[in-house]
Amino acid sequence: MTRRWPARPEQLMPTVSLLAALAAFGCSPLLSGRPLEPFDVYNALQGFAQLGLLALALGITMIAGEFDLSVAGTYALGGMLAVQTGASSPVLGVLAAVAAGAAIGAVQGGLIARLRIPSMPVTLATYIALLGLTYAMSGGLSRTYTNGDATLWVDRTIAGVFSPRSLLTLAVFLVAATVLGRTKLGRELRAIGGDRRASRVAGVGVDRRIVGIFTVSGTLAALGGALLGYSYASANPDPGLQPLILAVVAALLGGVSLAGGRGAPLGLLAGTLAVALLAQLVAVTALPDFSTQLLYAALLAVIVAIESPGLRQAVERRRARRANAARRRPGVLP
Amino acid sequence: MSPSATDSPPIRVEGLARAFNGVPAVREVSFTVGAGEIHALCGHNGAGKSTVVKMLSGQLAPDRGRIVIGGEPVELRSRQAAQRAGVALVDQELSVVPALTVLDNMLLGDLDVPFVNRRRKAVARCRRILDDMGLERISPDQPLSALGIGERQLVEVAKALGQNARLVILDEPTATLSDAESRHVFAAIRRVAATGCSVIFVSHRLTEVLELCDVVTVLRDGRDVATHPAEDLTVDELITKMLGQTRRPPSAAREPGRDRAPGLRIEHLRVPGRLADFTLTAQAGRIHALAGQLGSGASDVLRALAGLHPGATGTAELRGRPVALGDPVGAARGGIAFVSGDRKSEGLFLGKPTAWNLVATRLPTLGRAGVVRTRRERRTARSLAERSGLPERWLDEPVVTLSGGNQQKVFVGRCLEHENVRALLLDEPTRGVDVGGRAEIHRLLRQAADAGLVVMFASTELEELLDLGDVIVTMRDGRTVRRYEGDTDGALLLRDMTHGPGPS
Repeated sequence: MTRRWPARPEQLMPTVSLLAALAAFGCSPLLSGRPLEPFDVYNALQGFAQLGLLALALGITMIAGEFDLSVAGTYALGGMLAVQTGASSPVLGVLAAVAAGAAIGAVQGGLIARLRIPSMPVTLATYIALLGLTYAMSGGLSRTYTNGDATLWVDRTIAGVFSPRSLLTLAVFLVAATVLGRTKLGRELRAIGGDRRASRVAGVGVDRRIVGIFTVSGTLAALGGALLGYSYASANPDPGLQPLILAVVAALLGGVSLAGGRGAPLGLLAGTLAVALLAQLVAVTALPDFSTQLLYAALLAVIVAIESPGLRQAVERRRARRANAARRRPGVLP
Repeated sequence: MSPSATDSPPIRVEGLARAFNGVPAVREVSFTVGAGEIHALCGHNGAGKSTVVKMLSGQLAPDRGRIVIGGEPVELRSRQAAQRAGVALVDQELSVVPALTVLDNMLLGDLDVPFVNRRRKAVARCRRILDDMGLERISPDQPLSALGIGERQLVEVAKALGQNARLVILDEPTATLSDAESRHVFAAIRRVAATGCSVIFVSHRLTEVLELCDVVTVLRDGRDVATHPAEDLTVDELITKMLGQTRRPPSAAREPGRDRAPGLRIEHLRVPGRLADFTLTAQAGRIHALAGQLGSGASDVLRALAGLHPGATGTAELRGRPVALGDPVGAARGGIAFVSGDRKSEGLFLGKPTAWNLVATRLPTLGRAGVVRTRRERRTARSLAERSGLPERWLDEPVVTLSGGNQQKVFVGRCLEHENVRALLLDEPTRGVDVGGRAEIHRLLRQAADAGLVVMFASTELEELLDLGDVIVTMRDGRTVRRYEGDTDGALLLRDMTHGPGPS
């Protein structure tokens, strides 16, 4: 049993996606005919900042074996709340958004854990309700953010390629990586996602952890929405499904399994960066818009195929057949 | 909080009782376990061992009675509460998380582990615990999913023994282990007991019970019927106590095995890690019973034939036609009907009506050009229900509303009168079925055999094996122990299943 194929998927998948996206991004001068500039990297990182917190919010619930669809709604609500309450004090706006996100997440987590309801219908209902709420708050119109200083500040360039927004997003990823990778809490979350019954038997407080993970997920999504609202200097009552779908793509590219128990924040980071790099690649080379979607689909197909159980079983079956044939051959019986 | 060897008073269980839906599983069980004592709970299936273990480990609340640990009565409302009271558990079902590494599994749920990982210290401790169990080959950083079932079990045992507990409960820890692995486990248990920790050990393997344990408490029908020092007991005495005084009258004389058409020929069937070389020729018209406890390989024979073990090797022929191993659809097409021991996830469509479930496997015969003809479907369902002893009014009820016994009748009934089915394989055909339902299912199986089918089932229940099996094959550790034809004695079977081949 020495040959194991493939190696650890939660490392292999994000590594492959990030390297593929980086390679494609690095080759973009061949198409665009002009060398890459720091500004292109800055733009890619801005794309990363826009998606990152949402992908992390969704990804950590997936690691714990749940699926939080409501992050897209919290994202919209967070933006709207921050834009409407944070005109005089941007910090206050972010706090309002984050508090609302945490409260929404805690209620959902409580319902899912205590009443043992699957997370899909609960979070779907919340998503729809939050869209309605955001719509009601704004009267269905985009709201502009009047504090121009804050808008300039969040997207200010730092060291040529970063902005406060992308640095903050990176920092959150690093904190999440530390908590999930280095603490008891992280171990328990991965255990809950991997095998809930076994975790209970081992003595993990499964219900409380689930409430916690949804609270964190709501907080992160609202924070992401608030920062985006400041950056655009406006909030849209319905950002559509695009952000949610990209967050799922980022999570899957990052090696997070839909079945739970597998994945890490650093993988999510790599997956989100891959998505952002591909989007920027299309912008730099002035390819038609639809090529972004085709690139995502192609990369996702490759990543998912590497780790498909069907392929694994086929390999296992072929080995069994070979072993069988070897046993039947006379004279080579073990 | 770690108890020292001297001041830790014994574990006391007083008048524990628990019923499920009004059916008592444990009526009244009391025993004490001293500090440093290895205490065995023995009993045949349904004696109440697992329920007692679940109550002691915080997974079930007792209806009556109390548990005293260290002189204080404790209420164990959850596994965490039990952990806090110092009870570590190796559950009957493998309870480690494949997605985590060996190290993470060892630390999971341990109250003494600090919030922030101290990796170097944890790795050193894990390494030591693994080495103590003879697991030098396993690295703490390996993902558990890379290990085999036996090694995962060893990790779970190592984890429980490594916690600083007052009481370690091991429920069937050796069912999937080899003898060499078991010996390491026993040595580790003895070491832990030597530090003053109490140990409760549950196993179907009576030899190892007597070898390892200091005291044996025998449970029968939910009561503790005897407590003896292990050294005063032999395997045969223990079996007598487990079965009680009432010997079964020999069952009705069976037809001798006359020459019959060869039905199912199995040669050198292997499943890596579960089944080592199984060979049997099963004739049509007779019922073949595979007798074996959990991990004996009995149900793996059936699962492999049904195509559910992708790694299975060997040959099988049904009426001269080879059976494709590792291919569930091919097996079904080749005439094998498999009734899984797990009705809920591998058998019935629980939310669908009875009629729907009964005809689910024969839709092609009911339709024309791919469209099912309702009246014909109805007629077939009605005739199958009648044969299976299901009242007609249940046909439109969802299967989930039926009792376990009736669900099983639907499951078996689905395989009857099917021109394609040549062999009927059943894993634990009457698990969770009441006495009346059991008799009817047995009647159905007999009818199926009389109709010329090969019938083979795996079971752990002596009565069922003796009542139904024309040929009984006892199994242990993935190997055949012995083959019996016609009448035999329950104690003999139990001896084979729990002890291995004895003097014949």
